[in-house]
Amino acid sequence: MDALDSGTDQDPEVTGTPATLGNTAAAVIPSTRPVRRAFVISTVMALVVLLAAEFLYFTFEAPFFFTWDNLLNILTAASIIGIIAAPGTMLLIAGQFDLSVGSGAAFCGMVLAVVAQDHGLFIGVLAAVAAGAGLGILNGFLVTVIEINALITTLGTLAVFRGLTEVLSSGQVVAVNNFSSIGTARPFLNIPVPVIILAVIVAIFWFVLRYTTFGRAMYAIGANPLAARLVGIRSKRLIFIGFVLSGLCVSLGGLINSSQLGSASPNTALGMELSVVTAIVLGGTSLTGGRGTILGTVIGLLVISVLNNGMVLMNIDPFYQDIARGCLLILAVAFDRLSSRFGALSGRQTA
Amino acid sequence: MAFELQTRAIRKSFSGVEVLHGVDLDAVGGSVLALLGENGAGKSTLVKILSGDYKPDSGEIHIDGDIRQSLDPVSARQIGIRMIFQEIVDAPTLTVAENIALGHLPRRLGLVDWSTVRRKAVQVLTELEVELDPNAIVGELRVGERQIIEIARELTEDARCLILDEPTAALSSQEVERLFQFIRRLRDRGVAIIYITHRLDEVPTIADRVQVLRDGNVVIRGEVAQFARKELVQAMVGRAVGEVKRPESIARHEPAQPRIRLEAAASGDDFLDVNLEAYAGEVVALYGKIGSGSASVAEALFGMRALTAGKLELNGETMSFGHPREAIEADVGLMPADRQREAAFMVRSVAENLVAPSWPRIARLGALITSGMESTIYARWHDLLGVRSRNDPAQLLATLSGGNQQKVLLGRWLERNSKVLVLIEPTRGVDVGARQEIYKLLRGLAAEGVAIVVSTSDYEEVVQVADRAVVMARGAIVANLDGNEITTERLIAEGH
Repeated sequence: MDALDSGTDQDPEVTGTPATLGNTAAAVIPSTRPVRRAFVISTVMALVVLLAAEFLYFTFEAPFFFTWDNLLNILTAASIIGIIAAPGTMLLIAGQFDLSVGSGAAFCGMVLAVVAQDHGLFIGVLAAVAAGAGLGILNGFLVTVIEINALITTLGTLAVFRGLTEVLSSGQVVAVNNFSSIGTARPFLNIPVPVIILAVIVAIFWFVLRYTTFGRAMYAIGANPLAARLVGIRSKRLIFIGFVLSGLCVSLGGLINSSQLGSASPNTALGMELSVVTAIVLGGTSLTGGRGTILGTVIGLLVISVLNNGMVLMNIDPFYQDIARGCLLILAVAFDRLSSRFGALSGRQTA
Repeated sequence: MAFELQTRAIRKSFSGVEVLHGVDLDAVGGSVLALLGENGAGKSTLVKILSGDYKPDSGEIHIDGDIRQSLDPVSARQIGIRMIFQEIVDAPTLTVAENIALGHLPRRLGLVDWSTVRRKAVQVLTELEVELDPNAIVGELRVGERQIIEIARELTEDARCLILDEPTAALSSQEVERLFQFIRRLRDRGVAIIYITHRLDEVPTIADRVQVLRDGNVVIRGEVAQFARKELVQAMVGRAVGEVKRPESIARHEPAQPRIRLEAAASGDDFLDVNLEAYAGEVVALYGKIGSGSASVAEALFGMRALTAGKLELNGETMSFGHPREAIEADVGLMPADRQREAAFMVRSVAENLVAPSWPRIARLGALITSGMESTIYARWHDLLGVRSRNDPAQLLATLSGGNQQKVLLGRWLERNSKVLVLIEPTRGVDVGARQEIYKLLRGLAAEGVAIVVSTSDYEEVVQVADRAVVMARGAIVANLDGNEITTERLIAEGH
């Protein structure tokens, strides 16, 4: 495993001799960012434990839960969120948000449906991908050129894209015919295509974040934008690219959704940004940027998906699922904040 | 009877490791106590016990004979203990007057009494002899000016014990002198002053008594006059270190062309008509107090500040850098003044911090990189730079001391193989031992043919590191000193 992200580090305070402790202690950082790897590792461990607990509980409480078919169901349900959360993780590592993903996915799906009616499926798919790229370019432009805060930008475009979707469809559900392949086909080991796409996207972003200068630069931008500029990173360009990648993955999510349903609805993926952000933050990506991993996001995603699935199997009212999701998000953020505070305190304690 | 604040046998542990092993301290009204020690010696922990931020594990605090086990921030404040931190904690979007009144805004009929806010600000600024507009926005001021405001804020209330944690780190010599005058005035009024510093030359000037901490123990305690400077240094470091001395003058066969050159350069109001050149193999110091323009000139060399007149030449070629990346590609490196804000990726590993500017250069196929590659590079520099850490490339930069962070950040330009290195205040907040090591590194780099420009407001630094010194004041060059002309006396005299 890559040394940077491996969990083998030990707590400096515990292992340091008094002499080196002096050095450690002198790191007087008024920043409130987490500085201690040991604690972050335990965040991931806590998640794995949470996931295992969910598994155990649902296995005993819901007989159908622990079956190959149901596990595939869980992954299928998670795939669209995961495909969108992968670039989202990269953006948050660079200190940026994309909240417009849910309505972006609906818009791309609708573009597919409307264009395919007149010009055929192939052109429809191209148009949907182009629409996704266009959404990303718009977000990226507003954030890097106009320099509007990403949270506000994408909160605005979240509403705009949803409105555009409704305008495009006149508020109606539009059918998409003969396009079930990417949503429902099971070419290999009975695994549905969306799950395979999820695996590919996760692998790509995992690789990019870990083994490319682009990935390194994203971490650097999130850790300290000013310093990133002074070591020669063209931050704006890279953040722009990050938003475009997000837009492309959003269009992929929209296509899969339309394929699964055989139609595009203006209400598709309503509130999906909540699930996406929850998965990312639950997975340990710091809200202040500079830290986070794709694998963490995958675990976060599984925690949410298993919970949703288990609650359905146990026949729990779907309204409670929203409550559970919201609580998970707050729990995740609370964890991030508490670990920041804990990290800052321990970094300062002997200063 | 003079105010007395004493600690007796104070012990304090963090995570099971004791950092104060029974420390005594005596602060007396009407006297300045210099508290010396390297980073991590326990100075800050000790004074945070006095300010009520930490509770000691054992020991006593005596306040005018009243014995307490510990203090809390509120009671410490009521007693009249005031602490001024090294880091600036102001409200950058508010005005000078508002910042001075911060936390104790005067009120009338429940509303903020703005005229009193202004009057008090003017009063305290006049007392400090600082010419600052009370209506200026603090965020737009220079670091040294902001530091003065920090102090001014604490002085608006009655203070009986003033603790200053390295208050002069960012001040120009003129501002330091003003601060000293003010401290003396407070002392004469009966305030007990605890003065934490790294700068030994300040000790005889300002302090009456001195106490040195090392690894949580008191190693020296007594009247300032009792100790020679060398004894203090040895007490702090625990070993003999090289004292302030000139670097050996190296025989330079001057190349025909300077590596980097500014010709009749100007940038807005910051500096005017600056001619500066640095040849391969030399260290040029750009000395000037804060606000003299020396830092701005250094930034202009890296393209961070656009020239409004004149030109920048690199190896005889006229350049204009639109983005720092272009300067880096032209083999120019910059160590900015504010390490934490402008240079360090605190939450990333030391290896990444060191390699960052070289990523495009070392990547395979133009983009591929592994942390193994970074670790190999880091391992190569770790010993050369003398970084004291766990020697683990994955260690977070934040867990290193200031001096060691600075070495890693300096290493990034060594790895990048920069031919011109520009440094702004390279040893601010760095302890004595690490400071010497950084100077040695710079001399070593120069010997290898790098042209080095050090912009600094610390005259001792100039004496210790520079082959040539360019003195700036009020945005213009006022003197060029060569070799043995560089003395602290000359620098102070010319820099005014």
